[in-house]
Amino acid sequence: MNRTQPVTLLVCALGGEGGGVLTEWLVDTARHAGYAAQSTSIPGVAQRTGATTYYVEVFPVPLAELSGRKPVFSLSPVPGTLDAIISSELLETTRQISNGMSAPERTLVITSSSRTLTTAERMQPGDGRADAQRLLDVVKAFSREHHVFDMGTAAREAGTVVSAVMLGAIAGSGLFPFPREAYERMVRGGDTGAPEKPGKAAEASLRGFAKAFDTVNTPRQQAALVTSLLATTANDVPSPQALSPAVACLFPPSVHDMLALGHARVLDYQDADYAMLYVERLQKVLAAERAVDPAGAEGFAITREMARWLALWMAFDDIVRVAELKSRASRAQRVRNEVKAADGDIVKVYDHFKPGAPEFAALLPASLAHRVTAWDRRRKTPWALPLKVGSHSVLGMASLRVLASLRWLRKRGNRFAEEQALIGRWLDAVVSGTREDWRLGHELASCGRLIKGYGSTNERGKHNLLHVIDHLAVAPLPDASPSTRATAIAAAREAALADDAGTALDAALVRHGAPPRPVKAQPIRWMKRQQDSTRRAR
Amino acid sequence: MEVSFSKEIEALRLGAGDTFHGEGILAITKGLLQSGVAYVGGYQGAPVSHLLDVMVQAKPYMDELGVHVEACSNEASAAAMLGASIHYPLRGAVTWKSIVGTNVAADALSNLSSPGVKGGVLIVVGEDYGEGASVIQERTHAYALKSSMCLLDPRPDLGMMVNMVEHGFRLSEHSNMPCMMELRIRTCHVRGSFECKDNVPPPVSTRALMEEPAGFDYMRLAHPPVTFRHEKLKGEERLPAARRYIAEHRLNELVPGTHADLGIVVQGGLYNALIRSLQQVGLADAFGATDIPLLVLNVAYPLVPEQVADFCVGKRAVLVVEEGQPEYIEQEIATLLRRRDVQTPLHGCDMLPAAGEYGVEVLATGLSQFAARYLPQHAQDSAKGWLMGNRDRRAAVATKLQAPLPNRPPSFCIGCPERPVFAALKLAQQDSGPVHIAADIGCHAFGTFEPFSMGHSILGYGMSLASRAGVSPMMQRRALSIMGDGGFWHNGLLTGVQSALFNDDDAVLLIFKNGYTSATGTQDIISTPDDEVKERAVDKQQSLVDKNQTIESTLKGLGVQWLRTVYTYDVDRMRKTLNDAFTSDFNGLKVIIAEGECQLERQRRIKPWIASLLQRGERVVRVKYGVDEDVCNGDHACIRLSGCPTLTIKDNPDPLKVDPVAVVIDGCVGCGLCGANAHAATLCPSFYRAEVVQNPKWHERLLHSLRGAVVRALQPA
Repeated sequence: MNRTQPVTLLVCALGGEGGGVLTEWLVDTARHAGYAAQSTSIPGVAQRTGATTYYVEVFPVPLAELSGRKPVFSLSPVPGTLDAIISSELLETTRQISNGMSAPERTLVITSSSRTLTTAERMQPGDGRADAQRLLDVVKAFSREHHVFDMGTAAREAGTVVSAVMLGAIAGSGLFPFPREAYERMVRGGDTGAPEKPGKAAEASLRGFAKAFDTVNTPRQQAALVTSLLATTANDVPSPQALSPAVACLFPPSVHDMLALGHARVLDYQDADYAMLYVERLQKVLAAERAVDPAGAEGFAITREMARWLALWMAFDDIVRVAELKSRASRAQRVRNEVKAADGDIVKVYDHFKPGAPEFAALLPASLAHRVTAWDRRRKTPWALPLKVGSHSVLGMASLRVLASLRWLRKRGNRFAEEQALIGRWLDAVVSGTREDWRLGHELASCGRLIKGYGSTNERGKHNLLHVIDHLAVAPLPDASPSTRATAIAAAREAALADDAGTALDAALVRHGAPPRPVKAQPIRWMKRQQDSTRRAR
Repeated sequence: MEVSFSKEIEALRLGAGDTFHGEGILAITKGLLQSGVAYVGGYQGAPVSHLLDVMVQAKPYMDELGVHVEACSNEASAAAMLGASIHYPLRGAVTWKSIVGTNVAADALSNLSSPGVKGGVLIVVGEDYGEGASVIQERTHAYALKSSMCLLDPRPDLGMMVNMVEHGFRLSEHSNMPCMMELRIRTCHVRGSFECKDNVPPPVSTRALMEEPAGFDYMRLAHPPVTFRHEKLKGEERLPAARRYIAEHRLNELVPGTHADLGIVVQGGLYNALIRSLQQVGLADAFGATDIPLLVLNVAYPLVPEQVADFCVGKRAVLVVEEGQPEYIEQEIATLLRRRDVQTPLHGCDMLPAAGEYGVEVLATGLSQFAARYLPQHAQDSAKGWLMGNRDRRAAVATKLQAPLPNRPPSFCIGCPERPVFAALKLAQQDSGPVHIAADIGCHAFGTFEPFSMGHSILGYGMSLASRAGVSPMMQRRALSIMGDGGFWHNGLLTGVQSALFNDDDAVLLIFKNGYTSATGTQDIISTPDDEVKERAVDKQQSLVDKNQTIESTLKGLGVQWLRTVYTYDVDRMRKTLNDAFTSDFNGLKVIIAEGECQLERQRRIKPWIASLLQRGERVVRVKYGVDEDVCNGDHACIRLSGCPTLTIKDNPDPLKVDPVAVVIDGCVGCGLCGANAHAATLCPSFYRAEVVQNPKWHERLLHSLRGAVVRALQPA
């Protein structure tokens, strides 16, 4: 019985990436080369950004040598029997591998390093992204041979779509017994197109094809790409910043990088006095940490964390800050680059603002501020001013600059005072927590992550943080050992970043013996339906 | 629709001596023409949409042949169209997505099967089962049984499929039974080739009209008393005739095997998967030479009892490979063997799973059980190793990943006009409280996925309004029904609107008026903007659905008093309108028309237009939205209110901050939702709208340079 098997290839793509064209190219290439081939697909609702797969089988013996016999091809990929998987998205590659498709002893995996994040990953209040490194590890561990490169970029640089790049990669891998020219002929338009002078689109496709062909064909180039990729995956390395010796000498070196950034931020946000206040606050933390960890065995991690979160909270976002950031020349340039404007092009930028009563009240003295917010609360719907400011126009830029110049007013404003008070409460909790137990202090310091943004987001963050402080840091729990409280705080912090409704947070609080957050009053338009009898009377 | 099928239409013109290369569903279409089909109808739906789409666009060629093509308003009207073949020698074919479409068509199918047909009738259904399917409940097979129609399930080889189309018509004419042909998703999209024949212009056609109608014949009516006679005819004449034809023309294939004392009965559509599975357990080769004899049922109903019995008799065991539940074929075989007192042991669902797609791995698992029991001497080490390997590997990957991988459900396209409405609905429920949402079939069903996760029930295409009729009288707050214009015309107008008006219901209906049945491939409907309108439009970027008022005038004509039309991208206004509908004193039917043209269609129109403008060096304004990375608060509230694929996140460039910031990537079509949401929901002030003017006019450049000078003077570094 004849035991020759077809060569099998699974193609994974996202909607609109031209996977259909790719499989057509492959089947036609096989046909012209004189081989039996078949492709199938699950397009589903692919055009709507879903994941989609295509499956190709080619019989490795030329039709001419089969004496009229026709191979029976499978319509669906068979787990563990694939010769190759090519995929334009890293998560989808891993998904197929986790379905058991790739066999380490048999399967060649060619995948793009690029990620198209799923909605579930993007919508998290914190960072919900799947760990790319872990995905890559799976690709490495469960493939006979693997090629990883950024197909998206390759396609963009060549000015074509990813399908052409994938075709090049397949050709370069030597998976099928066809010469490079056979593939390229199809890209040029196969039977219909004139191979002599291909069209603009075909030219671009051929560039993308060649790029991928070489990438997969020359392992050295390839290895370089991977390493560079792995390098970029490690992020969040603070850039060194000038730090005045006067300040530097007050803190251990392990804190300096973060301290430098924080100090610069607060200085840029307000003024020297404010920056000094920052340093003083941080010194309190350092003192407390030194008390429990004189040798700095933990690398003064609490002080380091506080250097980060304290700076961010002290430089809280308000209209003055936003106006400042939006009116900088560097920002105008960044926008030009982001929208990929050519030199000759004119770029008009309109900024969407919607300041409400609280934003303005923030800059007023307490008494006045309270009256404004009270008036706002009495309204059926809170007052807000939707603005579309053209920062490219004279008037728009002028008004932004006027707002930005109100920095002096900020310090006298009501919100400034309130923020300082809250920062104080948090700071005290961290300090006393640290003196009690290093880990407790560290967890409380990390809670600074909960404070971010504007308006409701910012309110929610503070609300959550204070609740955690009041019920987990200070108030004694059933089992009040510091380490248990530290664990509880860590759990609460993670939960607070899970969903904006705070469902997870309340659950975590209760789980650790703390009360859930008090239900916040939310006004809704109540509509009582009339009974049927009265309706019929119409 | 803006998609062109010119290439496919060329393939339809191929004749004797040519070889067809392409997808299965197009081969079937060609097969219809080779069979002299006189009329074609149907309703679009994956995986068979192409059949109708291509035929509709091939209208000129169809006129040449004298073939009438009708894009029906739903599957019921398509099935009713087949009535033409009751009296007249007309070959007719219709197509739709099963099981849903067949359910909608059930009534007409029953009354077509009762009198039976004179002209051959072929119903091509997409058996939407298994991976990538959307409606995997129920089997079309049940309809073949209950209405006594033939059911073809051809081996997924283009030659065989086309052959079965031609046989299908003859079988139908011989037996007076309508024939159904079930095609699975991968079969529709399989790419292969077959040797063509010439297309046959139908003898009676739009070019060769009938002079007179048929004479009155009560036997042709599905009406008592003759229906009692019809029931007898089904069993006494039609089924036997069908069985004779199937046997004489060897529509089912017998494949010999060395183990003649064993056998496998398989649905034609599963043949390839079975052969590959047999290979995996070492009982077949790549060319289909098998050790175990096969009976391949290219006709799944009716079975030919003699054929099945002859196949089974004297064997040690027979395995029935039949996908989906209940296992009709296995049951029928069991019955007929019992009646004939054939004692061959019968296996099927005892070794194979009752539910789920029969992929190669699933089949091989069952086969190795079968082999282990009846071929104990057959070595299965490699097969067992392979299956075990798959299991172990899956476990290993799972442990390495630690967390399950995030799913990637389909979602609204970039710039989709329906996304903003769900954003508005999310906000409106913050004002008026949560409401019961009766969802429907269509793109808007993606609103049930993250980030919106909205919808309490989906009862069927255009059924949303009807499906809340029992809910809203029982609830203090009003219920919302969501429906697309596709569903509205498919049957929402009658089952929903008419009923709600007649019963004076207190209901809220939101109709997505995007101008096409987008989810099935943006086919045109009666409320699609006319081609002339598209031609005349100066600015091709604008939405044009407002140019067609059929839905509005229909609703007014029916007596809808509370009717609001809102441009979907105006989130604030949509939010207000929804709140009005939820809280208004008006207690009748309240209809909100969410107007915004399908972005897929718009982009297909816009892209070539922009390209041509740029080529001629004319002025073009390109809009893109963006996020200021240093202003973004990293909370991603904007994403929870949009989910647009181009509104994603990246590492925070600020070394102090840890949470990723939002970013608008390439591909943004500048639909405006980001800005509208920023205002409607009071999001953070990080969003900007950038208008890039390419090839600006000279005075624009002048003004800009002057303005730029002043602005730069004001800007700090």
